[in-house]
Amino acid sequence: MLDSRILLKSLNDLEVRIMLCKSAFEWELLAKKYVDVESNIKDFFKKKKIPENFATALDTLRASLVQKKGELPPVDLSDFFK
Amino acid sequence: MGLIKAVADAVMEKAKHEVKDYLIKFMEEEKEKEKKTEEIKKEEIPAAVLKESVKAEELKEEDDEDEDEDEDEEILPLIESEFTKFTYKVKPKDFTIPGELADIIKMLPVEEFACFVKLMIFVFEQKKNFGYIGNTLRRKIGLESFENEKFDKTVENLEKYGVLKVEQVSDNQKTFILYVPFDEETMVKAEYQKPEKTQQKKVEKKPVKKGDEEEKPVEKQNDQQDDIPGKAVFGMENDDLYKSYRTFVSLEIDKAKMRVGRSNFDKIYMEAVKYIDKKYGFKVLSDSEKFKEYLTNYYISAFDIPTFETWKKTKV
Repeated sequence: MLDSRILLKSLNDLEVRIMLCKSAFEWELLAKKYVDVESNIKDFFKKKKIPENFATALDTLRASLVQKKGELPPVDLSDFFK
Repeated sequence: MGLIKAVADAVMEKAKHEVKDYLIKFMEEEKEKEKKTEEIKKEEIPAAVLKESVKAEELKEEDDEDEDEDEDEEILPLIESEFTKFTYKVKPKDFTIPGELADIIKMLPVEEFACFVKLMIFVFEQKKNFGYIGNTLRRKIGLESFENEKFDKTVENLEKYGVLKVEQVSDNQKTFILYVPFDEETMVKAEYQKPEKTQQKKVEKKPVKKGDEEEKPVEKQNDQQDDIPGKAVFGMENDDLYKSYRTFVSLEIDKAKMRVGRSNFDKIYMEAVKYIDKKYGFKVLSDSEKFKEYLTNYYISAFDIPTFETWKKTKV
């Protein structure tokens, strides 16, 4: 029970940090953290169904990450074409 | 005897006086002569000084006139250059100025020289000798200290010297091609045929609507999957034509960015992010290289940029 609370807290913390995120670099770090937390949650509940509050928190977090990426300045593709 | 001696003494005495008088007179005459020569010299010196100062003023005026003439004078080209758009095959390790070019640019005035070298370093960094002219370029090459007009003038002068070519692509857009001697070993020509005007107009007329953008890529996704510039295509990595296509796409995206405006482009980008997340998952979104691939593909669809196959046909 204690572990699941920690996981939920880390999701909440991530949400706050996403709100404050201002650069693409920061966003990438947060995206990695999100992927880590998501896999931790899946591992924690293993084959059981992920509780609704966790699933909702994960969905919200992913949506806000996507939203934030869209709000940040468009990715510079000039290096990509070199 | 006594009388003769007295007469002789008298004669001698008189002769002495006469000689003395003569010497005094001679001395006075000499003094007068010296005075006169000094006076003449004094009179001559101010005249000479005056003459010299007049001459100097005249020379100065001539110089000023020359400078004015220089400013107004037309700049003659240093070379009759052929401008070739190129990209570097691989970014060279060291920044070098070919001897042939060094001989030409050493003749440039300081500001033009500095601007040219800065542009050349920029060209070297971005691996292509062409791009847009504007404030971004001015900032990128570190010429913020130049005011817009001064920068424009310098670029104009570089064009007159024949080391840079400026092209007016639209009312507000200018592009440049920097003259760098073409080296087949390290460079690839990036010339391409412009897409037909009708096609361009079609793109311009299209209003940017969210719905359209979301639907279009879905329809075209499969067709264009292999045409993503930058995506490794088997056997095409070293294909010059494919490299030219990538440059073409890059330029078309830049053009579209200018055409739709910053805010619209940001909206399109936002839609692209949502679309990629929905279609390919969050992993693609968080992987910067993959994301760039899919974003390019999205832009190709959204801005009606010809696919590689279509583009190749127009090229051939």
